[in-house]
Amino acid sequence: MNATIAYITFRGMLGRRRALLLFMLPAVLLLLAVALRITGNNDLNISTIVLQRFALTTLLPLLALIAGTGVIAPEIDDGQIMYILTKPIPRPVILLTKLAVAIALVVAFAVVPTLVAGLILTGGTAGLAAGFTVGTLVGGVAYCAVFVVLAVASRNAVTIGLLYALVWETLIGNFAPGARSLSIQQWSLSVTDAVSSASTVTSEVAFGLAAVLLVVVSVLGATLAAVRLRTLSVASAE
Amino acid sequence: MSVLELHQVSRWYGNVVAVNGISMTVGPGVTGLLGPNGAGKSTVIHMMGGFLAPSSGGVTLDGARIWKNPDVYRHIGLVPERESAYDFLTGWQFTLAMAKLHKLPQPGAAAQRALALVEMEPAKDRVIGTYSKGMKQRIKMASALVHDPPVLLLDEPFNGMDPRQRLQLMDLIRRMAAEGRTVLFSSHILEEVERLASHIEVMVAGRHAASGDFRAIRRLMTDRPHVFIVRSADDRRLASAIIADGSARSVQLSEGGLRVEAVDFRRFTWLLPQLAHKENVRLWEVSPADESLESVFSYLVAS
Amino acid sequence: MTSPLTPSTIHDIGYRHYEGRRLGRSYVIRSLFVHNLRAVYGLGRPARAKVMPFLLVAIMMLPAAGSVAVLAITKEPSTLIRYAAYAVLLQPIVAIFLATQAPVIASRELRFHVVPLYFSRPVGSFDFVLAKFAAFVTAIFALLATPVTLLYVGALVTRPSEETQAPAMPSVGAQTTDYLGGMAGCAVFAFVLAAFALVIAAFTPRRGFGVAAVIAVYLLSSATVGLVQFIALYNNNYDAAGWAGLFTPFNLVDGVQVGLFGASGSTPQGPPDGIGGPVFALVCAAVVAGALAVLYGRFRKAGLS
Repeated sequence: MNATIAYITFRGMLGRRRALLLFMLPAVLLLLAVALRITGNNDLNISTIVLQRFALTTLLPLLALIAGTGVIAPEIDDGQIMYILTKPIPRPVILLTKLAVAIALVVAFAVVPTLVAGLILTGGTAGLAAGFTVGTLVGGVAYCAVFVVLAVASRNAVTIGLLYALVWETLIGNFAPGARSLSIQQWSLSVTDAVSSASTVTSEVAFGLAAVLLVVVSVLGATLAAVRLRTLSVASAE
Repeated sequence: MSVLELHQVSRWYGNVVAVNGISMTVGPGVTGLLGPNGAGKSTVIHMMGGFLAPSSGGVTLDGARIWKNPDVYRHIGLVPERESAYDFLTGWQFTLAMAKLHKLPQPGAAAQRALALVEMEPAKDRVIGTYSKGMKQRIKMASALVHDPPVLLLDEPFNGMDPRQRLQLMDLIRRMAAEGRTVLFSSHILEEVERLASHIEVMVAGRHAASGDFRAIRRLMTDRPHVFIVRSADDRRLASAIIADGSARSVQLSEGGLRVEAVDFRRFTWLLPQLAHKENVRLWEVSPADESLESVFSYLVAS
Repeated sequence: MTSPLTPSTIHDIGYRHYEGRRLGRSYVIRSLFVHNLRAVYGLGRPARAKVMPFLLVAIMMLPAAGSVAVLAITKEPSTLIRYAAYAVLLQPIVAIFLATQAPVIASRELRFHVVPLYFSRPVGSFDFVLAKFAAFVTAIFALLATPVTLLYVGALVTRPSEETQAPAMPSVGAQTTDYLGGMAGCAVFAFVLAAFALVIAAFTPRRGFGVAAVIAVYLLSSATVGLVQFIALYNNNYDAAGWAGLFTPFNLVDGVQVGLFGASGSTPQGPPDGIGGPVFALVCAAVVAGALAVLYGRFRKAGLS
């Protein structure tokens, strides 16, 4: 980890309009939770739907995509990455710092709001809030690792990430149950299921398998990205 | 005293050869890397800066391999061609961050010194996004100088600068060299190189066309046959006079005027007005037909 | 220093004036339209600009092709995806297309500050916006209508020659009516989605940021509306569920398909009966008009600086 790289990356991510988007996303979740709480629509069933459909499958991948690609892709596109690469700092340290910043942003703008929304909706009932907090946390780490490696490897990282999150996990996952066993979303749900005792949370992937796959994807993503960054060739002609 | 060495370096992208079997040694002082656009200058600088692996051959700094060796950056300061620095930081924040990334013992003092060197102290608290082109170039220089590197690589440092900024930067580069640093800069403008570098390396189409003392190469360039297009009131008469004088290798008469291949550049340009005056022929136009840098280079490569 | 004795003059050093015929406003609009339409699909640009739009078109075609293949084998009319449902069903892909390609139309000139170059020529700001908008509408319509047309052609080609063969396929006439309704739906989709995406992209000129912004607004609105509809239906409040559809683009247009074109709904709850259809249609019109006004203001302002 390198504090200076983290500082520059945070400054870049929290520029004016981008920060607005980052704040807007969790704000909608919290508003929704408050509104449902006030109108009394906060039984376990509805709360699960809110946390699962809104927090876990919409907010989390979206924020991870913005953060995971945002910490490094614009710098590669605009060439500023050179200022960091031309320093006597091992490339894996650079990458891990970038990844840590992305994860910190996801925690701040997705995991913590999920916890707050869960507490607003259900309090401590059935460990639902805790379950989804842990689920979004581990899922967030895996998503960030995947999106960072995409950002280092391809200029179309955002589109590929969207295709994965929206088309593979959501669209195909809805029709073909087989796709669900290869989806970060379902693994996170499995972890949530294991933590929470609520009967409304059901997952299709066994907890042990999901945990292993989450760790494998996170570690593999970070490693691949570090290797790729070691040999990153900066395109001279554009 | 640091020496950059390229040994039989080639680099290709797919089927395109960008750099073809180049060997050169760059020592202390200012070295100009000269070549037309697309000659492979940036590719060479990127390999020297460790951003590209040579497809074959080796690039070393004082014997240490540069590719995949971040430790060499303790000794190299690189100013990339692309203009963009971190636009959202102030000049001071940017320079200080670069000093910290080098893990210097006193980053604040180092940043202060680098900013003073490029005379950017008055503007150091403004955001880089608001800087002019010349200021951006100087803040990039400051970031490259912050760790006092013995080697400086500058990719097209004069691009987009106005004449005053150009002079300031030339002055700075001369000072760097006088302190015993190895400074290499690339350019496609002959005049810039002439005013800065005594030693030049010339690249054309990925090949190493010439290297050595600037003046010697300049002479080689001017001693070749030059082609001029001459239009006058009486082309035919002028043509016979030129042929009679013997300062031209060939003279062609065509619709558009005379095409004269002069043997001696200086003699011909000095002689032509006198000839015209003597023959009482009015000159309308005298223009060099092949004075572009590209044609000069292709001449060098062909010989 | 000019002395007062020498009169100031601009020397004619051979400026050439164009005295010929000029092609006029419609030619300008047409040129901008064609240029922008080609840009959406990366035509006339390097190969890597073409990859994503054509990949998305290919993905859009897959379910239609699959559906026709299944129909050909099973002869079961219910296996054919409904024309009006196609865009709603594949909305994530359409949304990705909007997010990645709207910035091509609405962000690039703003990012590089070149809008004034257009307006220093005889191009009106409204014509400029209109051409851009029309180009994006056309591009989206092509994306949506091509697979639907494939479904229609597939349905006609695989019709059994024996009319009596069971199970009965809908008649050619019924198919065609459905298809035309579907096409009208695609057109409304194209207008509303273009309006929605271009406005967001025009305010997020930074590279990569426009993509995130468009997709974020789409995902947030559709997820929120989905939840509200779920809860309303859970409480048997059908009207509230119906009205909620106004707030996300795909449900909004599907409401028009249901209310005005007589299609069956493809969302959890369509617009309320009676005034629902007309209200949804009015909101669509307002969205398009509002978007044109906002884009006009945005580009005119950018053109002044």
